[in-house]
Amino acid sequence: MTSNIHLVEGGCSGTREDFIGITAFRALGCGVGTIGGFMKKVFLGVVLVLAIAGMTLAETGVKKRRPLPFEYGRVVLNNYSEKAGLSPVVFNHWLHRAKFTCRLCHVDIAFAMKAGTTAIKASDNMRGYYCGTCHNGKMVFQGVRIFESCSKKFPPEDIKRCDRCHSLGKNVKPEYDFAKFTERFPKERFGNGIDWEKSEADGYIKPADFLEGVSIPRKSLSIQKDFALSPKVEGMPEIIFSHKKHTVWNGCELCHPEIFMGVKKGATKYSMVEIIEGKYCGVCHNTVAFPLLDCQRCHTKPVQS
Amino acid sequence: MPYKTRSVIGKILLLCWFLTAILVPPRDYCGTAYSQEDWRKEFNEICSKTEDTMTFSVEELRRLVDRCDALKPGIEKLEEPQRKVTLKRLQMCRDFYAFVLEMKEKK
Repeated sequence: MTSNIHLVEGGCSGTREDFIGITAFRALGCGVGTIGGFMKKVFLGVVLVLAIAGMTLAETGVKKRRPLPFEYGRVVLNNYSEKAGLSPVVFNHWLHRAKFTCRLCHVDIAFAMKAGTTAIKASDNMRGYYCGTCHNGKMVFQGVRIFESCSKKFPPEDIKRCDRCHSLGKNVKPEYDFAKFTERFPKERFGNGIDWEKSEADGYIKPADFLEGVSIPRKSLSIQKDFALSPKVEGMPEIIFSHKKHTVWNGCELCHPEIFMGVKKGATKYSMVEIIEGKYCGVCHNTVAFPLLDCQRCHTKPVQS
Repeated sequence: MPYKTRSVIGKILLLCWFLTAILVPPRDYCGTAYSQEDWRKEFNEICSKTEDTMTFSVEELRRLVDRCDALKPGIEKLEEPQRKVTLKRLQMCRDFYAFVLEMKEKK
């Protein structure tokens, strides 16, 4: 850099590029001569702006915003919406989980566990599958007629019906207000801020587990025993896995073998890193069920001395 | 038997054969696969047992897995999206039975 610069007494000579070069040189603390402080400030400003922009755009190292209680579990579906000129669909888990069990939707209606992988088409809904299983304009649930999800023809004034689901980026007033809907529910610290399990036990919610014409009549599940899992970190309380709590809403085939494939208890070793990445418990417990921040809800058993 | 009677009987038999050929579709046309009712009945029967899986013997579980495999080609012939939905549901049942079977075999 210095080879192009010719310092002369009382000023300097050289090209414009040389001038910028020496400004940078000085900004790094090596500069000599009479180059003004203005360019130094400009350079520092540019460096600062680039650094902030880089940090903002970087995928890693920037803290992710924690979703608000009503946003937790929200899924945005955009397999086909924007291609069809519609806003992506915003699906609120909190409302649906209050009314239906996980199994009803993820086993009987066959929604995949990973958001967007079902690739639902409007035509599927129109034929009475996926969202259209219930959102058909005919089904009455808990005294409320469930609105029709998609249809080939609709009057212009009915466009608002599309907006009820295709609502990303739109100011759509929801039929159910989260705060009002959950105001009496037992509270928790994280996720939706609701203790869903207690809400059911206390009778605030009664998730349906059977849909006529869709679900297969099954016997009630014989309760499997709870078991303890030893954590890898010494001193960390043991994990008590409650089969009872999980099978009530999920059944068996939702978790085995798709999520937990190890056939022998304790044979599959998984770490918190994998769980945080969305594997194993993290499939639900970082997306819909209470989040991993709530350590004590799994690590409950005092370490045996 | 007089000729006229034989002729009438012959014509009736011919007519019966003709009507049978028209009205009753050949066996293959009915499908080696399941009819709409048959596959649903079989599907419901197989997949309604997932809650009892732990009580089944290895042999029973093997039979259930085989029944799932036998049902699959029939379901693959269904129209979308019924095919996609039912196949996924069947796969979940099958995988779960296979999972428990493996667990029991390893015990």
